[in-house]
Amino acid sequence: MAEVVLQHVMKYYGSMAAVNDVNFTVNHGEFVALVGPSGCGKTTTLNLIAGLLPMSGGDIKIGDRIVNDLDPKDRDIAMVFQNYALYPNKTVFQNLAFPLQMRKLPKDEINRKVQEAAKVLDITHLLERKPRELSGGQQQRVALGRALVRDPAVFLMDEPLSNLDAKLRVQMRSEIKRFHQDLNATIVYVTHDQLEAVTMADKMAVMNGGLLQQYDTPAQVFANPVNMFVASFIGSPAMSLVPLDVATVDGKTVLTSAEGWNLPLSDANARKVAGASSRKVVLGARHSTIKLHKSQVAGSVPSKVYTVEPTGDITFVQAFLSGAIVNISLPPTASVAPDEMVWLEFDQERIHLFDGETEMALRAA
Amino acid sequence: MTSTSDTATPRSRKGVDGWRWTGRIFLTIMILYTALPMVWMLLTSIKSGFAAMQFPPQWWPTEPTLASYRKLLDPQNSVGQDFLRFFWNSLFVSFVTTVLAVVVAVPAAYAFSRFRFPGRKFLFFAVLLRNMFPAVIFLVPLFILMRVLGLVNTHGSLILTYLTFGLPLAIWLLKGFYDNIPIQLEQAARIDGATRFQAFLLIVTPLSVPGIIATAIYSFIGAWNEYIYAATFLTKNEQLTLPVGIQRFFSENTTDFPGLMAASFIMSVPVVVLFLVLQKYFVRALTEGAVKH
Repeated sequence: MAEVVLQHVMKYYGSMAAVNDVNFTVNHGEFVALVGPSGCGKTTTLNLIAGLLPMSGGDIKIGDRIVNDLDPKDRDIAMVFQNYALYPNKTVFQNLAFPLQMRKLPKDEINRKVQEAAKVLDITHLLERKPRELSGGQQQRVALGRALVRDPAVFLMDEPLSNLDAKLRVQMRSEIKRFHQDLNATIVYVTHDQLEAVTMADKMAVMNGGLLQQYDTPAQVFANPVNMFVASFIGSPAMSLVPLDVATVDGKTVLTSAEGWNLPLSDANARKVAGASSRKVVLGARHSTIKLHKSQVAGSVPSKVYTVEPTGDITFVQAFLSGAIVNISLPPTASVAPDEMVWLEFDQERIHLFDGETEMALRAA
Repeated sequence: MTSTSDTATPRSRKGVDGWRWTGRIFLTIMILYTALPMVWMLLTSIKSGFAAMQFPPQWWPTEPTLASYRKLLDPQNSVGQDFLRFFWNSLFVSFVTTVLAVVVAVPAAYAFSRFRFPGRKFLFFAVLLRNMFPAVIFLVPLFILMRVLGLVNTHGSLILTYLTFGLPLAIWLLKGFYDNIPIQLEQAARIDGATRFQAFLLIVTPLSVPGIIATAIYSFIGAWNEYIYAATFLTKNEQLTLPVGIQRFFSENTTDFPGLMAASFIMSVPVVVLFLVLQKYFVRALTEGAVKH
């Protein structure tokens, strides 16, 4: 096992920067998820670590070696591809044996290691089959097996679960997590599914537009998103973002809406908005931190219900607030109807405030 | 199936049957059109010289004989010597053309499929340019070229010429094939410890065998049947290939139709055998990539 260090990594396609000055360190045995929307540069970053693409600038270290100019085969890595990339003309056994044959291991050792890996992944009965005779889940296991049979320094995984159906995906998710814990493996895992990242990873690297937005533990990213992109990307349903203006009423700082209501801020939050670059501030709140009232209470703001979505154990309500849509979660016993007028109360300790111009989170000075 | 036809209205069933019968009749005509000349060739080849000239013709030979075949394949007499030499010449030219076409087309097609290099598009369409004109147009220029190279009256001139026909299409055919092999397979191989060349050799090449075979058959048949260039570039009797050889040989002896037909039949044997042996690969090559795996 080894650590992976990215320093000022750049990748240009023409004049377009697909990966723009990305820096992060994956420690020994850490599970890091690269997460972001399509085209954010996460897969390109993974391919740069693998050495499948040449870098335009920066350094990548695996273990204590700088691997910038090394071929993929010399980087001591293993990779699991989205489409599994099993060799179609080889049996499962030959697929698992290939990386060992390439390293010129003796035959009996290859045999032993393949059997071991097959046992771990419960695919011993499939060893003589060809990939096309396997189900999606079985192909996925073989792809994992081919990666772990060699005991590499780092595992790279490129959306390994996205071709599976929903049920199998949840199952394989816990298997990969288990696999990480048992092997204490260093894993870099690319996904566009923030839920996968949050549930599996020790740390997550949120990317957008080729830039690394935030690199931290899922809990930290969830609790303290650095900007509006991260806030809206992580969490399901997404954090509600309501653009408002800062004003002072009777000496107190409030957020004011074009709809004509004011939301008084606590002292701590007032200090945060004091650092904003303009009067425009965006209020962010997660669905579970908003209280819904049928009548007005102190500090609540008026809103109109748009849709009500019961999911069984939670009922999600979407409501209009100052031109934006706000998600609220309620117990299933709550009775709310579309178009009903309600009052929303925000938890001052748990709201997020963003600069309306820079979109960055506002922190207390 | 039966339940659907039971519930179908008589009118629509009649419509389906009508189309089906039209199809069958069309196919029958096509089969007769392609097969009858072959059958006639075979029948004539086992007639005696006199029987072949009769009118009205004997549809079925009254005294079938293999005399023509014996004559052609007998190395003792001069006819057999010539024929076997022509056959060998054709085999040699076609075989070398095929090997060279595959050896050049495989890496070229792979490069066109996988690499982005300056002039890639231009080069790719340039290889097709040669096939956009009738072969005769290039007859004189190529002849002059061969004379400058000192290749007139050698098999080398034919091999080079056939490559200019065969290679462009071979490259196109194979490129389509490589395009359908996911690049992740090579990437996986390179991560698993292979060099780029090993990934090509150990992973991509086995998968492209059907394409390579299709390309080889295509080149072989093209070279085997070619007439105009062979007739222009070669004048010495001992170098002629089968198509030219047969034509010259029998224009001296116009009445020997059974001999001509027997020679034509023997000439078609290698191609038919090649097809029969390799057809499963050939069909796979033509349908590869039609369905997403």
